[in-house]
Amino acid sequence: MSESGARRDVSPSGLVQGTLHMLILRTLDLEPMHGYGIGARLEQISKGVFQVNAGSLFPALRRLERDGLIAGAWRVTENNRRAKYYALTARGRTQLKRETRDWEVQTTAIARILKASLGEL
Amino acid sequence: MSLLTRVAGGLAALVRPKRGEQELDAELRDFLERAVERKLRAGFTPDEALRAARLELGSAGAVKDRVRDVGWEAAVESVWRDIVYAFRGLRRSPGFTAVAVLTLAVGIGANTAIYSLVNALMLRSLPVRQPDELVEMLFKYPGDPRMNSYPWKHYQRYREQNHVFADLIAMSRGRLQVAGSAVEPEVVDGVYVSATFFDALGLKPAIGRLIGPQEDQIGSDRAAVAVISWSYWQSRFNLDPAVLGTSLVVNDVPVTVVGVTPRGFFGLLLGMNPPLWMPVAMEPLTQKPSRLADGSLSVGMVARLKPGVTIAQARTEMRTLDQARLVELESRSRDVQWRGATIDVEPAGAGLSVLRDRFAATLLLMMSAVGVLLFVACINVASMLLARGAARRREMAVRVALGAGRLRIVRQVLIESLVLSTVGGLSGIALAYVGAHALVAIIASGRSPVGMPQPLEIPVHLDLHVLLFAAGAAVGTGLLFGFAPAWNAFVAAPSSSLREIGSAAGKTGWRRFGRGLVIAQVALSVILLSAAAMFTRHLTDLRTVGLGFQSDSVLQLRLDGSRSTYAPAQLGALNRQLLDRMASIPGVRSASLAGMTPISGAAGSQFINVQGFAEKPDDRRRVTLNVVAPRYFETLGTPLISGRDFVFEDEGRPRVAIVNQAMVRYYFGTSSPLGRQFTFEGQSQPLEIVGVVGDAKYHDLHETPPRTVYMNAFQGSRGASAIFVLRTDVPPKSVATAARRAAGEVLPTAPVTTITTLAEQVDASILPERLIAMLSALFGVLAALLVAIGLYGLLAYTVSRRISEIGIRIAFGATSRDVTWMVLRSALGSVSTGLLIGVPIALRAKSYASNVLTIVASTQAKAPITLPVDTTVPLVVSAIAMLAVALIASYVPVRRAIAVDPIVALRVD
Repeated sequence: MSESGARRDVSPSGLVQGTLHMLILRTLDLEPMHGYGIGARLEQISKGVFQVNAGSLFPALRRLERDGLIAGAWRVTENNRRAKYYALTARGRTQLKRETRDWEVQTTAIARILKASLGEL
Repeated sequence: MSLLTRVAGGLAALVRPKRGEQELDAELRDFLERAVERKLRAGFTPDEALRAARLELGSAGAVKDRVRDVGWEAAVESVWRDIVYAFRGLRRSPGFTAVAVLTLAVGIGANTAIYSLVNALMLRSLPVRQPDELVEMLFKYPGDPRMNSYPWKHYQRYREQNHVFADLIAMSRGRLQVAGSAVEPEVVDGVYVSATFFDALGLKPAIGRLIGPQEDQIGSDRAAVAVISWSYWQSRFNLDPAVLGTSLVVNDVPVTVVGVTPRGFFGLLLGMNPPLWMPVAMEPLTQKPSRLADGSLSVGMVARLKPGVTIAQARTEMRTLDQARLVELESRSRDVQWRGATIDVEPAGAGLSVLRDRFAATLLLMMSAVGVLLFVACINVASMLLARGAARRREMAVRVALGAGRLRIVRQVLIESLVLSTVGGLSGIALAYVGAHALVAIIASGRSPVGMPQPLEIPVHLDLHVLLFAAGAAVGTGLLFGFAPAWNAFVAAPSSSLREIGSAAGKTGWRRFGRGLVIAQVALSVILLSAAAMFTRHLTDLRTVGLGFQSDSVLQLRLDGSRSTYAPAQLGALNRQLLDRMASIPGVRSASLAGMTPISGAAGSQFINVQGFAEKPDDRRRVTLNVVAPRYFETLGTPLISGRDFVFEDEGRPRVAIVNQAMVRYYFGTSSPLGRQFTFEGQSQPLEIVGVVGDAKYHDLHETPPRTVYMNAFQGSRGASAIFVLRTDVPPKSVATAARRAAGEVLPTAPVTTITTLAEQVDASILPERLIAMLSALFGVLAALLVAIGLYGLLAYTVSRRISEIGIRIAFGATSRDVTWMVLRSALGSVSTGLLIGVPIALRAKSYASNVLTIVASTQAKAPITLPVDTTVPLVVSAIAMLAVALIASYVPVRRAIAVDPIVALRVD
C-alpha cells in the first residue's frame, strides 16, 4: 500500500505537534471537514507519507479548538448521520498564513544549506 | 486571546463534564463508522473491515485520555484527586494526623501571633490619606528616650515659618471629665487638635462632620464642638445617629457633638484610642488655668511632607527652626545638656513611635525564637512523614508498577504535605487569635511608656497581612518538611521491588537520616532552652540585684487629694492619724507615706548647691527628690547607714533632709555629711542633712541609683495626694480592704485611686524583659517537647525494625540491662551529638541576646547598667534538660525492647 517514500505512522514523536496543527489548519482551509475526513485527506494529499492516527488527531483538534483557531459544529450529513465538522476561524486563518510563511522561510533556508557545495560552506 | 478561550473551554469542561465525554464518544464512533465504510468500499468483508478499522482507531480509551489531557482542567482535576486522596490517608491514621497537625498548629500559630503584633506595632499603616507622607518631629535630650512634645507657641512658629511641609498639625492630650444626658459621668483621655488636623490627614467622618478650620478662634464659643470616636459612639451611644447635635458637658463646659471619626481610626499614637476630640481653641474654656493662652501648652507635632520634599530636607529645616527653642530652654533651666539635644524627623505612617521604640527589639527577638521553633516543628513532621513513607513503600511500588510516573508520585507526596500544613495552618490561625490577644493583655498590664494612658489599647487584628503571612508560613513549612518525603519517594520509586518491602531488615538509610534530624532538633532546642534560661536569670537579677529596697510584701495605696478641701494645718495631723491606724492593722509591720515610690515612672529632680562644694558647670546634674514620712526607709527595706530617720517632731522646725550614699560620694567624698547644709536652686532656705541611707533605684531598674535627696513629708506644705506604703507580714493584698476603709474614714475627700503592691509596680516597668523570659521559656519547653516526640518516634521505629536482632541477643543471653543500654545508647548518642553542635552555637547566641537586652534597657533608661549575662549555668541546665528528655523518650521503647520474646521475634519475618 505504500507509494514513493516510506509510510510513517505519525505520532507526536515523529511529526512535531506544531507541524501537525499547521497541516490540519491547511486542510480545513480547503473546506470544513470532520475528524476522519481530515485524517483521510492528509493521507491522500501526502500520498501516504503521513498517516495520522486517531491518538494524535483528536488531541490536536481539541487543542486547536481550545485555542480558538478552529470551531466545531455538529451537523447532520446526507445519510442522517450526526458528525462534528470543524472549520477555520478568522484567527485560524491568520495563524495559518503566519505559520505557512514561517515554514517556507525555514525550508528554503534548509534546502539552501543542504545544497551548498563545499566552497559555500 | 487564546488564553481566554482556553480558560473558557476548561471551565465549560469542569462544569459539564458529561457533555464533553458524550461528544467525544460520538465523534469516535463516527470515526469508526467512516473507517469501516472506507474499508468496505476497498473490498474488505464486514468483519475484516470492522477489525481493521478498530486497529486504525487504536484504543478508544487511550485516545480519550489523550484528548482529555489537552485541557488545563485535566491537571486541576488530577490535583484535586490527589488532595482528596491525601485527606483520606490522613483520616485513616488519626493519631499521626493529630500529632502532626498539633505540632504545625503550634509552630505556625506562634509565628502568626508574634507577627500580628509586629504588624500592629511596626508595619501597619494608619488609616489616613497617604500615610507615607506623614512624619513626626522627635527631639532627644541626651540620655532620655525620644519625645514628641513641644510648646504651642513654637508649634505656631514652625507652622508659619517652614517651607517643607504641606501642613503641620498638633495635638495635646488631656484628662477630661465628661458628663451628659446620655452618658454616666466619667474621666476620659481626650485630645485637643489643631484646626486643620483632620483635613491634613484626609479623614472623612463616619457621620456628621469633623473638626475643621472654622474652629480656630481661640476661646470662642463657636469652638465648643467635639467629635467622638467610633468605638465611643458604639459603646456609649449604640451607634445611634441622633448623637449628632447632642450636648456633652466636658469639664463643666457644654459642648456640641458634631461628628464621629471613621471606624478603625484610633488617632496617631499606637496604644491609644481617644474617645473625644476637640479643637485646641477650646482649651481655654475647659482647662483652667489655660496653657494655650501663654503658648506653653505641650503638643505633639505631625506633618505632611510637601510633594518632592525628602525627610533629610525636612530634618535640616526643623533643626534650624528648633534652635530658638533649645536656646530658650538652656537659658531658663541653666542646663547645658540642652545643647546636646537634637531634633529628628521620622516617618509616621505607621503611627507615632513611642510604643514601637519600646517593643521593637523584643518583638524581633521573639520572631527569631519562634522561627526556630517552627523549624524544629517542621523537622518533627518531616521525620514523622518519612517514617510513614517507609511503611507505604509497598503502596508506592504498586503505583509505579501500574504506570505512575515518578513526578506524579512526588507531586502526590508534596500535595499530602501541603494538605497537612494547610490544616495545621488553619488551626494555627485559631491559636494565633487566642495567643495574640493574650499577649496584648500582658502588654497592657505593663507600665505604659511616659505620657501614654493606662491601660494601653493595641489594635491587634488578624487582618489580611497577617493571614497572608500565615498562609505563606503554611505553604513554606509544607514544602520544607515535604521535601524529605518527596525526595525519598522520588529516589525510591523506580527501584522498589515488592518482594523487598516485607523484610524486617529495612533500610538503614532512613534510620541514619532520622538520627540526623533528631540531632538537628536537639541542637536547636538547646539554643532555645539556654536562651530561655539566660533571659529568665537576667529577669531575676533585674528584680533582685542592687535594688536598694525590698520589693516583696509592700502594699501601696494611692490617694488622690486634688479635689480635697483640707487646710495644710489639718493635713499633717490627719496623715499622722491615718498612719497610726494603718500601722495597727493586723499583719502590718510598718506604715509610711511618700510622694512617690521607686520604679513608678514618676520623678522629681532639682539642682542643689552644697555649702563648701565647688562644682564644675559641665558636671552639674540634678538630684532626684522624694518627700517621705518617718519609717519610710524601714518600710521599704532601705538601710539607714548613719544619722537618723525623720520623726514627726521635725514638723515646725528648720527643714531637714536625708540623702543617699551616691549623693554623699559625689558631694562629700569620704567625710560625713551629717550636719552639713545645702539649698535648692532658686531658694535661700537651707536644709540640714541628718541621715544617710543606702542607694536605692529610683526611675528604672536599668539605671544605677541616682543621687537622691529625701525630705520630711511633715515639714512644709504639700497637697493631700500621697502614696501610703505598708510593709506586711501576710500577703499584701489581704490587708487592702482594711487599709482602704481606714483611709476612707480618716481622709474621705481624698479617695483611694489605686492599690498595688510594690512588686507589681516594679514588674510593670520591665514588661519587655518579662515577655522575653516568658515567651522564650514557653518556646524552649515546646521545643524540648518536640524533641521528646521526635526522639520517641525514632526509637520506636528503630526498636520495631530491630526486633529480630533483639530476639537473637536475648536468646543468646543478653539481660534486660544489656537491651536497655542498647536502646539508651542510641538515644543518648543522638542527644550528645546534638549538644556538641548546639552548645557552641548557643555560646555565640549569647552576644546576640545581650545586645537585645541592652537595646530594651536603653528604651527606658539613660546609660543603662549592663547586668552580666551568665551563660554557663543556662547551658548546663539545658544540657541536663535534653538528657532528661532523652531518658523520658526512651522509656516506652525500652520497655518494648525488654519485653521481646525471642521465639515470637524470630518467627516474625
